[in-house]
Amino acid sequence: MNLSKDSISNFILKNATYLIFAAVLLYFGLQSAHFLSVESLGNIVKQGAFVGIAAIGMTFVLLIAGIDLSVGSVIYLAPLVAGLVMQNTGIPPVLGLFVALAMGLLLGALNALLIVKLRIIPFIVTLATLFFFRGFGVWLTDSVPFDFEPSFLAFGSASVLAIPLPIWALAFVTAVAHFILAYTGFGRQIYAVGNNPEGARKAGLSVEWIQARCYIICSGCAAVAGYIWIAQIGRLDAGFGQGKEFDVIAAAVLGGVSLFGGSGAAIGAVIGALLIQTVTTGLSFTGVNLYAQPIVQGIIIFFAVFVDGVRGKRVAALLKRTIRPLNSTS
Amino acid sequence: MTAILEFKQLSKAWFGVPAVSDFTLSIAAGALLGFIGQNGAGKSTLMNMVGGIVMPTSGDMIWRGQSFKPANPAEARKAGIGFIHQELNLFSNLSIAENLYIDGFPRKRGMIDWSGMNQRTASLLKRLALDVDPSLQVGRLSPGERQLVEIAKALHNEANLIIFDEPTTSLTPREVSRLFETIESLRKGATTIIYISHILGDVRKLSDQVVVMRDGRLVDSGMTADFSIKRMIGSMIGRELAGMYPPRSMPPGTETMLEIENLSQPGVIEAISLRAHKGEVVGLFGLLGAGRSELARIIFGIDPHSAGTITFNGKILKGGPRERIAQGMAFVTENRREEGLMLDQSIEENLALASIEKFGAAVTGMVDEGRLSQRAQQLSHELQLKAANIHLQSAKSLSGGNQQKVVIGKWKMNEPQLFILDEPTRGVDVGAKYEIYSLIDRMAASGGTVLLISSELEEVMGMADRIVVMNRGEVVGEVSRKDFDEAKILAMAFREV
Amino acid sequence: MATAQPKKTLTGRITEILLSDYFVLYLSVAYVAVLAPFIPTLLAPENFVNILSNTWPLLIVAIGQTFVLAIAGIDLSQGAVIGLTSVVGAMLIAVGGNPVVLGGAPLWGIFLTEQGGLLNGLTLAVPLGILMMVLTAALIGALNGYAVAVIGMPAFMTTLVTMLIIGALAIYLPLSYNIEQLPESFIKLGKGDLISLYFGAKGESQIPRKIIYSFITYPMVLSLSVAFFAHVLLNRTVFGRQVLAIGANRKAAEISGIPVRRIIILVFMISAVCAALASVLYSARLGSGRPTLGAGTFLLDIIGAAVIGGTSLFGGKAKIKWTFFGVIFFVLLSNSLNYMNLTAFQVDMVKGVVIAGAAFLDVWRTRLLRELT
Repeated sequence: MNLSKDSISNFILKNATYLIFAAVLLYFGLQSAHFLSVESLGNIVKQGAFVGIAAIGMTFVLLIAGIDLSVGSVIYLAPLVAGLVMQNTGIPPVLGLFVALAMGLLLGALNALLIVKLRIIPFIVTLATLFFFRGFGVWLTDSVPFDFEPSFLAFGSASVLAIPLPIWALAFVTAVAHFILAYTGFGRQIYAVGNNPEGARKAGLSVEWIQARCYIICSGCAAVAGYIWIAQIGRLDAGFGQGKEFDVIAAAVLGGVSLFGGSGAAIGAVIGALLIQTVTTGLSFTGVNLYAQPIVQGIIIFFAVFVDGVRGKRVAALLKRTIRPLNSTS
Repeated sequence: MTAILEFKQLSKAWFGVPAVSDFTLSIAAGALLGFIGQNGAGKSTLMNMVGGIVMPTSGDMIWRGQSFKPANPAEARKAGIGFIHQELNLFSNLSIAENLYIDGFPRKRGMIDWSGMNQRTASLLKRLALDVDPSLQVGRLSPGERQLVEIAKALHNEANLIIFDEPTTSLTPREVSRLFETIESLRKGATTIIYISHILGDVRKLSDQVVVMRDGRLVDSGMTADFSIKRMIGSMIGRELAGMYPPRSMPPGTETMLEIENLSQPGVIEAISLRAHKGEVVGLFGLLGAGRSELARIIFGIDPHSAGTITFNGKILKGGPRERIAQGMAFVTENRREEGLMLDQSIEENLALASIEKFGAAVTGMVDEGRLSQRAQQLSHELQLKAANIHLQSAKSLSGGNQQKVVIGKWKMNEPQLFILDEPTRGVDVGAKYEIYSLIDRMAASGGTVLLISSELEEVMGMADRIVVMNRGEVVGEVSRKDFDEAKILAMAFREV
Repeated sequence: MATAQPKKTLTGRITEILLSDYFVLYLSVAYVAVLAPFIPTLLAPENFVNILSNTWPLLIVAIGQTFVLAIAGIDLSQGAVIGLTSVVGAMLIAVGGNPVVLGGAPLWGIFLTEQGGLLNGLTLAVPLGILMMVLTAALIGALNGYAVAVIGMPAFMTTLVTMLIIGALAIYLPLSYNIEQLPESFIKLGKGDLISLYFGAKGESQIPRKIIYSFITYPMVLSLSVAFFAHVLLNRTVFGRQVLAIGANRKAAEISGIPVRRIIILVFMISAVCAALASVLYSARLGSGRPTLGAGTFLLDIIGAAVIGGTSLFGGKAKIKWTFFGVIFFVLLSNSLNYMNLTAFQVDMVKGVVIAGAAFLDVWRTRLLRELT
């Protein structure tokens, strides 16, 4: 293999997340071997599951070169509505999950409507709904924290085969999303739309409908993430999930999902979420000041976006049209 | 043999300007037609009507015995027409097989039948002698291989007619010969083929019949065996343009203004050397894809070059457009809407775009609105802009010709010494054309140098003192005004000398 | 087509109002006219003073945002810059420090001690402190601009991430505590009046403080000066023309020799510096350096005010005048919502709807303009 400067930098660009992940694990492992124990790593996966599930949804939106800033509020509003329904009808938490999911899909449909039909810029739409959804929830509860039934907490802390519910949920959502993105016509068409929307339209694909479904899926995932997360806590207050959109977007971008659309995978988003959680846990573990932690996390996200920008430029250069063959003197 | 496609008095006009007029032709099933003609002869418009990209203004198409008017590309594809554009239409992030099946994946027990899909793609690729894995990402293929994937797409859609529009531009010689083998085998499989190319030798080698277009009309056709290259070129020239050119008022000078030596950029241009003098209009002629615009962009510092030098007024140029402009260069690009104008802004603001710094006060940077307005007004008069109020009216509201004059005026504010004009009369009506030609003459007469890039040979011959001919990113010849000869220059551009 | 005629003039008139420079001003007046009967306090002099005092700092921030919008960018990090510069200014000019509160903070001992901030004691402490706030902001703006112009990162993502980092840094430095004990001369910048109004009966020997209404204040003078300067800069100078040209057509601007990268960097610097100037006013009004100043939903006010004024998210169309009216509308909106017994979240909800509406209006106006010509 030719180890030119380009191929080395390409290798780093391609595998940036894994390299950081390895370095982070190594660093915290050296601080304390206990950090790398099964128990501690299991905890990281469990705590990272919520952001992971939402990041999978975000992957769909980023794949079509969109953005959804409202996930933090969907994480709050959808479980709240499910909680209110459970309180009033007495349906079990398992069914409540579907109520939350339905609510998420509905909220996503609202985003999709404004973006696809009214053609308002996605980040402005979702910035507006970010505040709207939360405000709506607070109005529903009169700003009083909402307490779930004890049965709900039992549901949340349940384990199957000694593996806690959030990990099962993460695994399930990952598998489904991976299947959709990699193995269904709809999934492959998402990639096509993100890569070349004009070409997709020419190929006869219904670009708007594909885009709309991505926003709906994104909110659906956020709703599930919120529901399973609050099931660990039991009390939903007005600030729940606030600012989580950053972690969610960051997880996806860290996992190699490009902001420019058309490239990335569900599993990458999960890796990104786990990396963020590892850093968060590691920083607390090693006693780094609570207030310094967001700075470190922010710098990691900045790095991810930076790598994505550089990568985007390289890809564009590679696909530039030529009028004569390269590497030919004829 | 029965006709697969018939054109009956098919016409297309853009805002009253005809692009294709009264085109009548019958294409036999299984034929391999070579389509030739100069740039703007109407080949692309005609094919776009077949491909469902452009709707005809009048006339009919008969496809396999039935009237045919595809409303969009998908409809034409379903009818059995494969169109391989110069700009490939592939999804670089998907696999070859997925690109073929993107609008409808095969299913088996509710799931995508991946193995069937890959197998069928593999067999298609085998037919095209492309030895790659169907699950390979298209982004990792060479331009030639991507071209073959487009053909595979057409085959997959069971196209009965495949249109190739300049398929060889970015291919290596090996890829070209593979493409020709493929076309040969397609023909044996009874697929009808329309092959559009500027490489006349290829057309002669491949086709059974030749169709020559000029000014949107069919001017000559016949069996390829009867078509010498000389006849091809002879039929293409002699366009009846309302070609009126102002007489040149001054002879060119001898002092060198621009000197280009061995300029190269991989995939774009190769070892270009060129010289232009004060007071001279140098025409840069070539067919589409010859690399003229690309060369202009490199000279102006927009795109990079890997080797060679550009010397201007004795100085070797460095930096980007900003530095070149400071040295006295100007560049009217070929697409004025995307790169020339601020459509929503006023005419005056557009005129001021390149020279605004000259109207700023030294320390405060305040624009001297009075002086700017006065200069813009004066220029608008000089350019004979047809605008009611240059201060309020947006550039968008102007006609094509007047928009172009605004772009030229933007540069004239700087009083440049070298004017690079890329297709300055494209989309411009006859009257405005003449005015632009007069402007070109005045630029040269006042001691400036003009590099005139045009696809219209008559235009270059009418205005230039000297014509430099390009082909595939190389300079292939140079002709002085006294030796101008349409057939000779065109032959050079086709590399058929 | 006799029936179509009046209809056409009606839509024509609506179009005219929509596209007018003063559209948002009309909207504000209409808004007040509708609400005044229900909320009488809205028009009371003390509320008027309140509205004005909220207008000035927001105006400065929104002006900075206007420049970024003009190049078809966006700056989400302004709020965080306000917080960080508030901390930076306070830790440098404080006249004393409380070790009980701030003793453990990272800035303690380096920038701030019991003897006050690093600059405390110097005659020019306050101007120097403000200068440092401005320089800090300029540096952040330059980083944003570099990432957007040179590396090609999307503006909204870049500034979202810097917002995260800068905001976190602002909180980390004082460990989320406010920095108190700012010098009087600094506090006066936020509260001081130059001219006050008194509407009460004359002839009383002592006028109660309550009924003196501040009219011309330092914030007013500062922010109107910034507005005037920005107006001249954007509409009358070479730089302003180049900014608008980049927003209108970046490619054409590049080919016409406009130093596009440099100007984009400068624009982000202007945006951040405006945030720092607003931070001076906010910090002075509070009398402390507060790390969470400008955090959270303040973003809505900035972008909402700029966009509803008529500055386009698609670039190339921006006027300081529009932003001024947009700010007035937004301050009126927030102010009236405060009288409606709503929670902070509900206020944000309304603002969210208004922003979406403003963005839609932008799409609509752009379309209308396209159809008109």
